Amino acid sequence: MINIEKLHFSYLTGDFHLYISKLNVEKGEKVAVIGPSGSGKTTLLNLIAGIIPVKNGNIRVGETRIESLNDAQRRDFRIQNIGFVFQDFELLDYLNVIDNILHPFRITRTLTLDKDVRGRAAALAEKMGIGDKLKRQTNDLSHGEKQRNAICRALLSHPKLILADEATGNLDPENKDRILDLLFQAVDEHEATLLAVTHDHELLKKFDRIIDFRNFQSKEAV
Amino acid sequence: MIDSIYIAWQYIRFNKIKTATLIACITLISFLPLSLQLLLGESERQLMSRAVSTPLVIGDKGSSLDLVMNSLYFSDEVPELIGMEASERIIESGLALPIPVYARFHARGNPIVGTTLDYFDFRRLKVAEGRNLAVLGDCLLGARVAENLGLKPGDSLLSSPETLFDLAGVYPLKMKVVGVLQKSHTSDDLAVFVDIKTTWVIQGLGHGHQDVTNLSDPTLILKRSESNVVATAKLYQHTEITKKNIDSFHFHGNTSVYPITAVIAVPYDDKSGTILRGRYLSRNETLQIIKPEEVIDGLLQNIFRIKNVLDAVISVVALATVLAIILVFALSLRLRQREIQTIFKLGCSRLTIARLVSAEIFIIVLTSGLLCGVMILVVNQISNGLVRMLFIR
Amino acid sequence: MKTIEGLSFKRKIFFFGALFVLIHIAALPGISYSDTDVQEKLTIYVVNYPLKYFAERIAGDRAKVVFPAPSEGDPAYWMPDAETVAAYQKADLILLNGANYAKWVRKVSLPRSKMVDTSAKFKDRYITAEEVVTHSHGGEGAHAHESLAFTTWLDFDLAAKQAGVVMEALSRKKPAAEDFFKKNYAALEHDLLALDNEMKSIAAKNPLLPLIASHPVYDYLSRRYGLNMKSVHWEPDEFPSDAQWSELRAMLKKHPAKWMIWEKEPMKESAERLKAIGVNSLVFDPCGNIPDQGDFMSVIRRNGENLKPAFQ
Repeated sequence: MINIEKLHFSYLTGDFHLYISKLNVEKGEKVAVIGPSGSGKTTLLNLIAGIIPVKNGNIRVGETRIESLNDAQRRDFRIQNIGFVFQDFELLDYLNVIDNILHPFRITRTLTLDKDVRGRAAALAEKMGIGDKLKRQTNDLSHGEKQRNAICRALLSHPKLILADEATGNLDPENKDRILDLLFQAVDEHEATLLAVTHDHELLKKFDRIIDFRNFQSKEAV
Repeated sequence: MIDSIYIAWQYIRFNKIKTATLIACITLISFLPLSLQLLLGESERQLMSRAVSTPLVIGDKGSSLDLVMNSLYFSDEVPELIGMEASERIIESGLALPIPVYARFHARGNPIVGTTLDYFDFRRLKVAEGRNLAVLGDCLLGARVAENLGLKPGDSLLSSPETLFDLAGVYPLKMKVVGVLQKSHTSDDLAVFVDIKTTWVIQGLGHGHQDVTNLSDPTLILKRSESNVVATAKLYQHTEITKKNIDSFHFHGNTSVYPITAVIAVPYDDKSGTILRGRYLSRNETLQIIKPEEVIDGLLQNIFRIKNVLDAVISVVALATVLAIILVFALSLRLRQREIQTIFKLGCSRLTIARLVSAEIFIIVLTSGLLCGVMILVVNQISNGLVRMLFIR
Repeated sequence: MKTIEGLSFKRKIFFFGALFVLIHIAALPGISYSDTDVQEKLTIYVVNYPLKYFAERIAGDRAKVVFPAPSEGDPAYWMPDAETVAAYQKADLILLNGANYAKWVRKVSLPRSKMVDTSAKFKDRYITAEEVVTHSHGGEGAHAHESLAFTTWLDFDLAAKQAGVVMEALSRKKPAAEDFFKKNYAALEHDLLALDNEMKSIAAKNPLLPLIASHPVYDYLSRRYGLNMKSVHWEPDEFPSDAQWSELRAMLKKHPAKWMIWEKEPMKESAERLKAIGVNSLVFDPCGNIPDQGDFMSVIRRNGENLKPAFQ
């Protein structure tokens, strides 16, 4: 699913430098990415998603070479193929649950919001256990419910790849397990691939593979 | 676009206070100059049209503005009084039709305008209900007076004493409402019209009482001679003119010296008007003759000079408000930086982000515009009465 | 035959246009465009009979002259109702006698633009009525203004002037008929001045002849024709009281009149009692109201005939 070769990246300011000589993630894999803070985990996700342009190296997601895409193409690719789940949920507090789920369909012309999509959104919410809260404002939800809302948003466009950045970081231990299970379930059902950055070592056992970023600091690939 | 508006609308709804404040600011800053423009335009129209339709006014040599405002708009500023002979002088000249006006007294807050029947033809006022003035003591109400006081033909209206501390001065007279005029959208709608002789009765210059020459009660007679009987103040005087007592009403002294506030002169032609104006140029002349149009034009020049200053002030305030609004939006965007980054990460283009923000601004500005529009419409509807209330009376 | 519906649009326009023109041509004979003035009669309201007579003589068929006061009573003391006042207001001209004749005029609303004071031009010749008791209020109040004599038309020279004012007012209202009014006025003036001369010649026969008037209504007659007249306040249809007889006797001692002039035929008893004390009665009708018989001229001529015996 993901193939990375000879990826060099550094920010204009600071001493940070990321180098990955080779990294592969198979389709359907659930891979955890761990490492110290500032090691470049989130940067990697941003590069894969095309949020940050690749200047040096190759990143292929599915059949698409990310480094060859321009801004607009990367955006389109991202919104159609990649779902994001964030640590702080990143929900819009002025939209209710269903509108948050549908949000990606409203901010791009690449995706079309129709009756079918609304139906799927409601079904997803039902599956995630928040089907009865569709009209609630997100401020009225618990952390767990918020994350479920965010997962629904990430999954609605049938993405091939889910990128989760500390998805369980703000949840209590009970919820962490449950949310991760739900995420994994959804990833399986959608036949997607999961790349999740996490600091939570207790959850690592649930993943198929672990990528340790300590190995990437100016070193050769895994 | 619809989606952008939908999202913008949800944002606006969620941030009610901020949105309401912004809408209020924009609405007010748009409304102020527009409404001022409207009111000034309406006041100019009202003042000018009334002034233009009144050829000449004769009155005491004092403030010409007071004279015009009282005789045309029945303002509370009563100019120095002149004698009825001023009207007779114009009749004798054969140059104009004189219409005497005595606008001094009030009835329940509304000006009583004493005049002659020619006034109604001159102002093209028609009776909507009832009939025109016929007999001493009759009053004809302006349309708004009738509405405000809930009066109709057959009702009574009491004139107000000029001051509570002069009970022996101007007598309250119970007048009979005989008619209501059609609405004219001028100061005439707010006036109570009576025959000029009725105002003299209100003033006490005319009255009705028992036949003094045939009194039996000696306490009613101060002095009696072969040719004259002097009555005491004890003699009861009628406070209402009825069919039964009208014969007893009379005037003392020479009515030529009876007071009026002004004479409206309607020249028979331009040449007559010019000749008439020339007759008041003498240094010994105690009266002045003015063209209301010129006086009001001068007043409007001053108003518009003030308006220019107001415009400048409002412009500065508007600029400050706009800058403040821009600052609010800029700060708002900064606070929403995280949200913008999120939707950017989700795949939103910078153009769409700009469209979302523009949609919010559009809704706020549109709402302000509609609100401002509604307020302007309301002001437009009531501008007629509002201008009269604020600027004229 | 084609119906209108069957015609084309252009022909329909032509048909209705022609019909429109034809209707207007047909209506023309009913409208005399060359003489609309004559068709529109002026409406003139007056306050006494002499003015009615003058206006009718001068205006002829160009005006309708209305005098709505009741035929009984003195029009000077009549008070019209609101409807009558409204009728006055609608008139084209309102002829007033002046000299405070019609007391009601000061108590009603009339359009100044239509009012004509027929004696205003000679107000310097008004006569103050000395026999009226006025009143005032308080120490320095002005007197009630009721002390003018008002039968100005009994001075036939002044009557001619009043008629002149009527003629001028009519001419201003209907300039197209000015010549007509002037012609009629000239005839009326001739008649009034003839009356004036007649009265002068009657009075000249005995200038100092003492006369008693039953009512103080002959001031202008008296002044113009030099009559030596004093007045009492007697009514023709009331027998005078004892006090009134005493007043007369006292007056006769200083003013030995042999004739009393009445406004109308007195009671037989009054006339007989007067005769008994050497005072004859004659009628000089002031003609303020519409006469039962004749017109102004015939009444005044009859008055003159009635006066003649006194001056012989």
